[in-house]
Amino acid sequence: MKTTEKTELQLLSEISRISNSSIELQEKLQRIVEAVTRGMEKDGASLFLIDRSGRNVYLAAAIGLNQESVGKLSFPLGQGIAGWVAEQKVPLALEDPFSDPRFQYVPETGIERFKSLAAAPILDGENCLGVIFVLSAAVWHITSSDITLVTTTANQISGVIRSAQLLRNVQQRLSELGTIHEISMAMTSTLDLSQLLSLIAKNSAQALHAEGCSIRLLKLPETQSLETAPAYSLYGEGVKDLDARIGESLADMAIQGRQPVLIGSSSPQTQLPLPAGGSAISVPLLFHERVIGVITVYNKQGGQSFAEDDLQFLSTIAGGAATAVENAAMYERMQDLALKAETRARELSMLFDISSALSSTLNLDRLLRIILTSVTMGGTGLGFNRAMLLLTNERSNFLQGMMGVGPINWDEAGKAWSEATGKHTNLMEWIRTGDLFERRDVAMNALARGIRMPLDPKEGVLALTVLEKRPYNIIDASASPLVGRKLRELLGVNSFAAVPLIAKDRVLGVIVVDNMFTQRPITDRDMRFLATFASQSSLAIENAIIHTNLETLTRDIRTMHKQLVHSEKMAALGTMMAEIAHEIRNPLVSIGGFTRRLAKKVRNEDTKRYIDIIMSEVTRLEGIINDNLQYIKEAPAQRGEEDLNAAVEDILTLYAEELLQKNIRVEKSLDAAISPLLIDVAQMRQAIINLVTNAMEAMESGGVLTIRTYRIPGSGQVAVEIGDTGVGVTPQAMESMFNPYYTTKQRGTGLGLPITRRIITAHGGTIEVGRRDEGGAVFTIKLPYMTRKPAGP
Amino acid sequence: MKKILVIDDEENIRQLYKEEFEEMGFEVTVAGDGPSALAAMEKVKFDLATLDMRMEGMDGIETLRRMKEKDKGLPVIISSAYEQYKNDFGSWASDAYIVKSADMTALRETVGKILG
Repeated sequence: MKTTEKTELQLLSEISRISNSSIELQEKLQRIVEAVTRGMEKDGASLFLIDRSGRNVYLAAAIGLNQESVGKLSFPLGQGIAGWVAEQKVPLALEDPFSDPRFQYVPETGIERFKSLAAAPILDGENCLGVIFVLSAAVWHITSSDITLVTTTANQISGVIRSAQLLRNVQQRLSELGTIHEISMAMTSTLDLSQLLSLIAKNSAQALHAEGCSIRLLKLPETQSLETAPAYSLYGEGVKDLDARIGESLADMAIQGRQPVLIGSSSPQTQLPLPAGGSAISVPLLFHERVIGVITVYNKQGGQSFAEDDLQFLSTIAGGAATAVENAAMYERMQDLALKAETRARELSMLFDISSALSSTLNLDRLLRIILTSVTMGGTGLGFNRAMLLLTNERSNFLQGMMGVGPINWDEAGKAWSEATGKHTNLMEWIRTGDLFERRDVAMNALARGIRMPLDPKEGVLALTVLEKRPYNIIDASASPLVGRKLRELLGVNSFAAVPLIAKDRVLGVIVVDNMFTQRPITDRDMRFLATFASQSSLAIENAIIHTNLETLTRDIRTMHKQLVHSEKMAALGTMMAEIAHEIRNPLVSIGGFTRRLAKKVRNEDTKRYIDIIMSEVTRLEGIINDNLQYIKEAPAQRGEEDLNAAVEDILTLYAEELLQKNIRVEKSLDAAISPLLIDVAQMRQAIINLVTNAMEAMESGGVLTIRTYRIPGSGQVAVEIGDTGVGVTPQAMESMFNPYYTTKQRGTGLGLPITRRIITAHGGTIEVGRRDEGGAVFTIKLPYMTRKPAGP
Repeated sequence: MKKILVIDDEENIRQLYKEEFEEMGFEVTVAGDGPSALAAMEKVKFDLATLDMRMEGMDGIETLRRMKEKDKGLPVIISSAYEQYKNDFGSWASDAYIVKSADMTALRETVGKILG
């Protein structure tokens, strides 16, 4: 056997021995380069391996080179001798490598100590796993057998690496399986989302030997309605700043591409400020093709970059994590929904109780008490500390406090609570026992009733609640421009809420609530519930108000009817009594008169006594009659609701012929709004006839008669105007014309105008005469506008 | 001797007034209704008349109007069982209004004042 062959065999058997030893790959490689150096009887050897990215070769072990370069020196494929051999997958012998253009000198390695080298690729079938170098300090004339030996050695090393890789893969798989198992255990053991996220982040980081891991969940459309904030979890304090800086961008890239993203020191994604030697992987969490979040790991421990298999592993985790996250989110949503459903159910049952209570009465006062008690009651109520109710008055446009419920100060509050403990937990029961309507909360009630303000936006929050038909939740009254000092001092609280009572688009009033004593903030949920409650209360209030109005109206009508019947009866009775009285009076005059005459002639004392008796009895009867007639006289005259315009028309028809003959034109303007009018129409007709005939007599040679009737705005009076274009009146005549027997005419009694004035005065009216600018006189009658409707309160 | 015309549709009243006024020293003519009173005025110039208001046919107001038309200067005392004619403008042309009473004092005094 030749020396070379012997050497070769020794070398190969040694490598085989190394390969079968149970030491770590790194140690094996180191021993291999030592063995190669010895076996080839040269001065050094080095071994490069392809890194996990498959794009670089790095120095994995060396003899004769500076040990610091091991693990650090790296060439991309195709560069340097190592890169060239790895890429070309052919052996190479260089007696003077320094002059070779492929050579790249790296001073840190100490390669300058050598003169010649031989290199061979470590091949596994078509794959190149690395490159083995044999280094000679003296110039080495490399023979083909040298090349063969290096190549054979390389093949042997290939087996070592492959088996080591296999072992490592198995170990890694086992470790990954362990991690995945751990994660899936965790996933099924917790449904708390944030706990789950931190568990996944921690396990992923550990499994991938990463410095840290973050998980971001997207805000989903379904979860949005439940107001769940996007979730975030981070493991590894060291990468906190890094994640804050680039986490979002990485996640965006993964989401946009729906693909994992791997960046490292050698990747072209340089716009991300990853620290030197750092790397990261972002994997989208996909659930049913939908991106629900992103998981990102940072910086592999030991200065390595993440590689393809890390990405695969993280993707596996991401798949399971997505399902678990979705389950947890679903569970959380379900819980949320269940909670809301329960709350809603409780609210509905409260509203039902309250609604039953509200429908138990149509009495406004009682109703308001029920409403405010519902607002302030715990248990089946809304549980506010105090409440007030204000109603709007549409006629006066004011907001008026009606009722207040609750303690006015801490003293009262303490007393009220100690009394209320264990008493009346059910509204209906409270109503049934009647306790609810007992007089209480006197001070608070007085406070509420003291509130009165015009419905003007300037008045602040309470008026605005009505005018804008919307609730207000005042959290800091002292800082709110809507709350005046007066209201703040009156309420004595800094936080309160006001909701409008709206029925059929009409704002009936406002409910004001506060939590003076518990200081519990008024939440949005409180406001929602209060609004629901208010709308229900509004309908009840509206019904009660309508009912009350109806009752009042019915009572008014009944009273009016009674009065009417009474006055008509009285009138009829009066007429009859007057008739009888007068019929009796005549014979009484005869009886009494003649008896007196008789008395003068009689001398007999007995007879005189009888006559005196008769006379005194007659006097007594006359007294009775007079008293009765006096009383009857005060009964209403024959007034009724009449159409004065119709009376005017009648008169004009009556005198139509005469007016025509006298060439008098009539201009009339009769306002229907003056009818009906409570007057004695016969008398009033007489009064107007007097004025009309008066006017006709003033216009012997023709002219215009004007008659107008109208309401005098704002005075509660109606007017009748009768004007002529005649000779007019002198100032002296104006003063005297209403006196009896005054007349400027040849014919007539001079009683026409006095009679007219008497009639008008008897109706509570006035009559005036004036001169018209265009000549002639005008008489104006003013009468109170009265109908049978009873006057206001 | 001053002449008084008594107009009343009740005979007892006419008789009573006649006796009372005659007792006071006046010459009295009686009439049972408006038309006969106006007829009497055609024959005699009276110094005073008492007039009932409620009468069949021509009532007191109308009678008064016609009497005043005939003799604007004739004083007329309305003597009625009814008070309400006081309010009737038609009665204002009278010179006095006395509600009938068994006590004749007021009537006698008024007559005495007008004719005294």
